[in-house]
Amino acid sequence: MIKTENLIKTVSTSEGELQILQPTNFSVEEGQSIAIVGSSGSGKSTLLGLLAGLDTASSGEIWLDGAPLHALDEEARAQLRGEKVGFIFQSFMLVPSLTALENIMLPAEITGLSNPKIRALEVLKQVGVAHRAGHYPNQLSGGEQQRVAIARAFITQPKILFADEPTGNLDAKNSDNVESLLFELNKQSNTTLVLVTHDPELALKCDRQLSMNAGVLEEVTV
Amino acid sequence: MSAMPRQLAWRLFKHEAKRGELSIILFAIILSVASVLSLSLFSERLQGALTDRSAEFIAADRQLSARTPIDPEWVMSAQTFNLATAQQTSTRSMAFANDELALVDLRAVSGDYPLKGTIKLAPELFATGVETTQIPALGEAWIDSRLFQLLGVSLGDSIELGEAQFTITKILSEIPDGGFSVFNADPMVLINLADIDATRVTGPGSRVNYKVYFTGSESDLDDYFDVLSPQLDRQVHRWLSVQDDTSPIGESVARAEQFFLLASLLAIILAAVAIGVAAQRYAQRHFDPVAIMKTLGASTSTIRKVYLYQIGFIALLGIVIGAIVGFVLQQLVVSALAGTVEVSLQIWYWRPLLIAIFTGSVCALLFCLYPLLGLFSIPPLRVLRRDIASSFTSRGGQYLTAGGAILLLMWVYSQNLKISLILFVSGLILVGLLLASTLGLIVLGRILGSGRMGAWQLAWARIKRRSLDNSVQLISFALTIMLLLVVLVMRNDIVQQWRDQLPQGTANYFLTNVTEEQRPSLIQHFSDNGIETDGLFPVSRGRFVKINDEILRHDITKEKEDTTNETRRGMGREANLTWDTQLQMGNEVIAGKWHGDWSLENSDLPPGVYPVSIEERVGERMRIGMGDKLTFNIGSEIVTVEVTSIRTVNWQTMQPNFFFVLHPMAMEAFRASYITSFYLPPERKPELTRLMAPFASVTMFDVDARINQVRSIIEQVSAAIEFILILVLVAGSLVLVAQVQASMDERQRELAILRTLGAKGSMIRASVIYEFLIIGSVAGLMAALANEVSLYLLQTQIFQMQSSLHIEYWLIAPLTGAVVVGLLGATSCWRLLSMNTQVLLSKML
Ligand SMILES: Nc1ncnc2c1ncn2[C@@H]1O[C@H](COP(=O)(O)OP(=O)(O)OP(=O)(O)O)[C@@H](O)[C@H]1O
Ligand SMILES: [Mg+2]
Repeated sequence: MIKTENLIKTVSTSEGELQILQPTNFSVEEGQSIAIVGSSGSGKSTLLGLLAGLDTASSGEIWLDGAPLHALDEEARAQLRGEKVGFIFQSFMLVPSLTALENIMLPAEITGLSNPKIRALEVLKQVGVAHRAGHYPNQLSGGEQQRVAIARAFITQPKILFADEPTGNLDAKNSDNVESLLFELNKQSNTTLVLVTHDPELALKCDRQLSMNAGVLEEVTV
Repeated sequence: MSAMPRQLAWRLFKHEAKRGELSIILFAIILSVASVLSLSLFSERLQGALTDRSAEFIAADRQLSARTPIDPEWVMSAQTFNLATAQQTSTRSMAFANDELALVDLRAVSGDYPLKGTIKLAPELFATGVETTQIPALGEAWIDSRLFQLLGVSLGDSIELGEAQFTITKILSEIPDGGFSVFNADPMVLINLADIDATRVTGPGSRVNYKVYFTGSESDLDDYFDVLSPQLDRQVHRWLSVQDDTSPIGESVARAEQFFLLASLLAIILAAVAIGVAAQRYAQRHFDPVAIMKTLGASTSTIRKVYLYQIGFIALLGIVIGAIVGFVLQQLVVSALAGTVEVSLQIWYWRPLLIAIFTGSVCALLFCLYPLLGLFSIPPLRVLRRDIASSFTSRGGQYLTAGGAILLLMWVYSQNLKISLILFVSGLILVGLLLASTLGLIVLGRILGSGRMGAWQLAWARIKRRSLDNSVQLISFALTIMLLLVVLVMRNDIVQQWRDQLPQGTANYFLTNVTEEQRPSLIQHFSDNGIETDGLFPVSRGRFVKINDEILRHDITKEKEDTTNETRRGMGREANLTWDTQLQMGNEVIAGKWHGDWSLENSDLPPGVYPVSIEERVGERMRIGMGDKLTFNIGSEIVTVEVTSIRTVNWQTMQPNFFFVLHPMAMEAFRASYITSFYLPPERKPELTRLMAPFASVTMFDVDARINQVRSIIEQVSAAIEFILILVLVAGSLVLVAQVQASMDERQRELAILRTLGAKGSMIRASVIYEFLIIGSVAGLMAALANEVSLYLLQTQIFQMQSSLHIEYWLIAPLTGAVVVGLLGATSCWRLLSMNTQVLLSKML
């Protein structure tokens, strides 16, 4: 489902070229869940950004469900994201001026799915915040916001779900809820799950663990 | 799929409008549309009224005057253009009655005369005139009070004009286009146009002026003129409109119109700045939503559509509300000013609405363009790396479009490239100054802001850190303050100059033909009666003979004269000469040296040649300059004078002014008559006949009615200007509020963080207030400086006024800037700090 070949990211800083991602080769099977762990600043988000096509690599190849991401332009990548990819972020990233329901409808509308509202109400029910449909993000608690974000990620039934520290801003109880929701949906719709986390427990729940260390990605065997 | 962007845009728009997120940008558009509409609608209506008022001075909307009879065909065809017409034939002629002879200004008018204004008749000699709608019947003559004195006639007597006899039936007080000249003004006689042929005064060789008056709608008048103008002979015909009026009233009206234009332009700029500020803030707030939508797969074109639709909705709403608000505001002002300011009764004009809509859309589009372009190019990666802003960071381009848009708006609105460029260039100078001073400020801040972290240091640290943002903010504050200053100072200067023009006690009567012998007794008699005369000036009429060696021939027929004098336009045969060694009040020597300031003996003038000082404009018209020799025939003597100085004269004052001032030595041999003026309070008017009784031969001119007319127009225009000043001040203050709020917005995050870190509210507040105080005072100072530049340009280039420094504003502007901006900052900061940190943080979402 995901495959990289010699993926490298360098950035230019005031002190010259800096390689923040060393040549990376790895692949993820369909329906697998993997966790990327590692210390802060090691390059986890960088990798995630590349895999999701939000950023372009300096060199190397990325294949996403058979599509050569490295060869696509921003428009084509956006289309690919809309069709195949879902996202969950540490800071939820809901559109503040849309209600919970409308936030969930957003990807469905962007990708042109039929009946976005019915679909949205359905997933909203699944994540358990149906009673909050008409509320704006700043009227929701962190846990509720993240559930809305999860609902938004699943409405298009993506093949791959990327999550960057999805529980980073939540307390233990909410974290547990969100985690179980995430895995439940992952199982239900056979979604490939790539999540970045600092939480070892969450990492353990995944099929595989990879550790990032100063731009070098290694498989962790438990 | 295709309906999606619109739906999404509508949804975003609806929610954001409901939650007040759009208030500032919407408000800015409403403000721009409302102020432009109310200002231009008001000034359109006011101008309508003023133009009507000034039309009285030419007795019509347009006047065609000619030296030869005007083709009756032209008058007929005017009627097919829906124009009303009237006619007047006038000439100087001898009047004979009671064995006395007098030169009169004979006016023969048709039944419809005057088309604008009214003829006034005096119930008694020299009494205040009363309006009449009639004209003299056949065989009747209405004559001036002075002529009753000169000829010793009374009502019912007969008078001979040329070869015809008339009965004197009324005392003529004034006619609308009677003219304003004290010299050469012979007493007026009004007769019916049908009688003019019988007098036989219009035969060959006499100087006759034929006039046709026109009124009608502006477009009909223009259409007619387009057809007429190819047939006109510039040597013979003169087409006159109200705007050509060069009387003090005409100039006041023209100046007022320019002021309205200026004020409206400034209102447009203010609104544009407000929209720019708001759009920037709007775009920044949408960085995240755009990044999210892109992450979710939205294409750039979808994003573009979503936001263009949104801006469209906002602009539409803003324009509709703005138009309503503007109209209501203007209507309120008109009813509030009712009685003081006369405005046209027509309450609706399309031009102001079109301008307002155009302004609203151009502002919305062009000022939002760059922030939006930035917004469109937000990379989706922002969802992971929060610090990523737009990759589209052409600030230069942004300023270029914003500046271009302002210039375009000003130009379209004023249709005057010069005034637009002046404002624009001084704006650019201001921006340059500000950028330089911001840099200076940052250097200064490095020194002042070092040391322990208190509120003061925090304020400086903020200014320092966000130097570019701050300079943008500074510039917009300074621009706003500058524009307010320009309008304020301009208004003060204009109103002051008008008041100076006609101070209380301005002479309302002129006396001419005072003889040398009468002079002492007249002064005595007047002072015995408690009336002060404004000095007696000697006058003599001189006929031009030569300019240098060029002989001027007058005694041949008119047609020839026209061609020989082509190069020296505006050349009369005769000139009124005065002589003095004292420079008259309101005169200023701009070239050479005033002949009272040096002695004739030591000069290098040839013997028998005396100095003369000429007025600037007459010098230009007649092409006479320093060192030219003029030869006059005075009485029967020849006098040669050399131009040794050139003066400017304040024509706006109601005092005798002279083109040519000679040295008294040149005139020693001549008998002079004197001219003077005095002020008689209205309540003493009845004494006039008694007062003048001992001086029957002295000619008196009553200009009281004229002065009152001028004064009432000036009062009206001043009141209108007051309103516009207030409107611009309100607009400006609102812009300041918007700016402070927008910049407060940017501080919100920082405040929240400081608050979370446990900083005391009082310290945060103090630091914000200091910051705004610093910004306000620097902006005020910069504005005062830029104000001087633009005022100088405006006053000298557009308003033709004297320009002076306004030092007091160098202090007032920084002080009020600091106080107002500081206060605004304090209130919005207080509002922010009164929220708890939780709310503050969640608002940042
Ligand atoms: N465009 C860039 N310019 C300069 N440095 C960058 C850029 N992008 C990433 N970096 C640096 O690369 C490193 C990796 O960043 P990244 O955000 O991937 O870390 P992370 O592992 O996600 O950390 P955290 O766990 O704190 O989120 C960091 O040191 C970051 O400062
Ligand atoms: Mg990260």
